Amino acid sequence: MNKTFNQIVFSVTKLNKTHIQFAMMLLALVLLVLGAGAPEDVGGSGIK
Amino acid sequence: MLTGMGYARWSGRTWHSPVFRAVWLVFLGFLPQLTAVYLPFTRDWASDELASAGLVWSQAILLLFTLINFKVPGMPVLAVGLAFNLTAILANGGFMPLPFETAQKFVDPNILSTLETGRRISNASKDILLAESNIVLPWLSDRFVSPAIIPYRFAFSLGDIFVATGAFWMCLGIQPVRAHKSGDS
Repeated sequence: MNKTFNQIVFSVTKLNKTHIQFAMMLLALVLLVLGAGAPEDVGGSGIK
Repeated sequence: MLTGMGYARWSGRTWHSPVFRAVWLVFLGFLPQLTAVYLPFTRDWASDELASAGLVWSQAILLLFTLINFKVPGMPVLAVGLAFNLTAILANGGFMPLPFETAQKFVDPNILSTLETGRRISNASKDILLAESNIVLPWLSDRFVSPAIIPYRFAFSLGDIFVATGAFWMCLGIQPVRAHKSGDS
């Protein structure tokens, strides 16, 4: 029982770390694209 | 990213999210743009000169990040796009040039008449409105317009195309295939 619990705790911990790493990578990529790109919509006036 | 996961599943491979080195450089590099262009409170406070300096420094730091992570699939393409945009910005006084002729294609005439040639579009913009004849390296400027079938119209540059392609490639997670040497596990 204790072993199973430890396994679950280990899996959840691992999953969380993976998720955090993925979220960080995704955020970094979004910021990189936003910062590197320079498209212009003239304040949204291009919406027709 | 979803496309990448789907493609990996379809081709029977494992999807690999990109792994970056020195991620802190992205946050550091984006900070000047965040304050000078994106956050309403701070961008109202920043002068055009400060915003221009922030934009240049920001893209220079981001370019350094792309060079550090040059081996990440898609990053070389993104780096070329960023270098194109930075070159156009540096060559035209610190902002991305938007040709007046391009603006006529997608901006409402009433709004366009309020814009002044040679001035920044707004304090939320990275662009400066210029006549095409006054633009240095015009082929790197925001000279392309999104297709009319898309309701949201915007102008973009050759660098933006490279940036988007590089980012998409990165999200696909396609890793170069390495030949296995005998004895490799």
